[in-house]
Amino acid sequence: MEDRVEAQIIVRELCKVYRVPEREAGLRAAVRSLFRRRYRDVVAVDHISFTVQTGEVVGFIGPNGAGKTTTLKMLSGLLYPTAGQARVLGFVPWERKHDYLRRISMVLGNKSQMLWDIPPLDTFHVLGEIYHVTPAELKQTLDELVELLEMQELLTKPVRNFSLGERMKCELVAGLLYHPRVLFLDEPTLGLDVSMQGRLRRFLAEYNRHNDVTMILTSHYMADVVTLCPRVILIHHGRLLYDGELSALAERLAPFKLIRLTLSNERAEDEPQLPPGADVVEQESGRLTLRVARSEAPSITAHLLNTLPVADLAVEDPPVEAVIDQIYQEGDV
Amino acid sequence: MNQRGGWALIKSTWLSWMQHRSFFFLLAFMWMIPPLIYLFVWSTAAGGKTIGGFSRGEFVAYYLVLILVNQLTYSQTNWTVGDVIRSGQMNTLLLRPMLPLYDTLASEVAGKVVFMAFMIPVTAALALVLRPEMHVTLRNGLAFVPALGLAWALRFFWGYWLALLAFWATRADALLGLQDSLVFLLAGQVAPTALLPGLMREAATVLPFRYMLGFPVEVLTGQLNTVELWTGFTFQAGWLFVALLLFVTMWRTGVKRYSAVGG
Repeated sequence: MEDRVEAQIIVRELCKVYRVPEREAGLRAAVRSLFRRRYRDVVAVDHISFTVQTGEVVGFIGPNGAGKTTTLKMLSGLLYPTAGQARVLGFVPWERKHDYLRRISMVLGNKSQMLWDIPPLDTFHVLGEIYHVTPAELKQTLDELVELLEMQELLTKPVRNFSLGERMKCELVAGLLYHPRVLFLDEPTLGLDVSMQGRLRRFLAEYNRHNDVTMILTSHYMADVVTLCPRVILIHHGRLLYDGELSALAERLAPFKLIRLTLSNERAEDEPQLPPGADVVEQESGRLTLRVARSEAPSITAHLLNTLPVADLAVEDPPVEAVIDQIYQEGDV
Repeated sequence: MNQRGGWALIKSTWLSWMQHRSFFFLLAFMWMIPPLIYLFVWSTAAGGKTIGGFSRGEFVAYYLVLILVNQLTYSQTNWTVGDVIRSGQMNTLLLRPMLPLYDTLASEVAGKVVFMAFMIPVTAALALVLRPEMHVTLRNGLAFVPALGLAWALRFFWGYWLALLAFWATRADALLGLQDSLVFLLAGQVAPTALLPGLMREAATVLPFRYMLGFPVEVLTGQLNTVELWTGFTFQAGWLFVALLLFVTMWRTGVKRYSAVGG
């Protein structure tokens, strides 16, 4: 393999096919299926390859059923692949060696590893024992994480009484208290309110900066991806469609920019004279949104500033959600 | 092996279960009802005579010991293994550097402590009222300990490999219900094995179910001669070996098939 020595995750032609039973609706079909079951092969992950270096944070994006979670489950050792190879930290994940499991963590937004009837502090101590963390180390790590996540008051309440956001904080602490080197985050902000999402994102960014932990994150919230992941891997129908910088993806897919300008009050009612190549997207009492080709954005901006009474002007990329939606709809980059 | 983690799990499961102790006390009470019914049926039937060599007091002793042994060997956790597989909760357990079997064992040990906190005083009170007749010899007392341990292990692993069929079939727990029925019929609950009619008695001697419950009771209550004792231990160890083999095979092949539900 030609991957750099420090690559922590190496995936080659990874493939997962599920065999799912199927039958038509109705009583007759139900009776028939008792004697003869029909199966259909569903390709969840279709020969994908990529590498991730130490300390990288990679966003794994794609529509529902694209194969994101299946890939993460194979990399964390939960699923055996149908074909292909993967190495994480030098281990084959699905061999599930204990030395491997001690070095990785998978936080699932829709599954809990907390014991519901007892306070989280008890669960953290059990996990400390399972992962062979010394009591002194455990205390220090817990103090740090609890402070970062501002959750001191939660430690002694039964988990059963927690809100979703509070439980998610606990899941993160549980997933990090043994200092894993690779972190798989599957929808970590699922169902959380906006401010809690923001707090968790800040926490993860800071944690990555301080600990140089490699992270792969799946999320349907583009704000998670934009804030945390300089690099994205986009999969659709199990196939890898794009692997690179998020900004480059936007450039490739949306070869235009948006110019938002506000004109000064005295001329706001007049019809502005626009240069060729600037299309009006929105117009409302002195406020304009123009769409221009990327290559022409600087010259058109200069022209606007020279010829119009501009009170305010901003040049923006189209919203990332619009770009991603375009790929999901078209199924190609 | 991860003994540190295993012990911590037992402690935390116990703490968690103690939150619902009244629920578990009620469960324990429910489980003691069928043997209690047969205790009254047989002891009343015996009256002042003997049936198949059992006097009234001996029936009482047999069933009181059976109630305790049943509680100690019944693996209530087998019922949750299938749910854990079906619901995808197995994900969390598989991600830990520890066999998920530990988690079930932790519940098993924690459960026994909670159940015994209820069962021992209740059985002692019943003994005071019903006056059992039992003369425990040193040989029987000593043989009872391994017989009980092996009975628990056999009942646990037999149920566990059946529960692991959930990797293949979604409602494999029906087989656990079948196991319970066979234990009820052939393991000395309906009647001590010695009182079963010919073919049933032979089946009970050969099949694994008697060795999950009835055998240790027969050992302690002094119903077996030396040859029967050693034959019983041989069957018990043999069936345990089969159960362990099936458990390992089911686990290894099942976990490769596991489709980690959800997402």
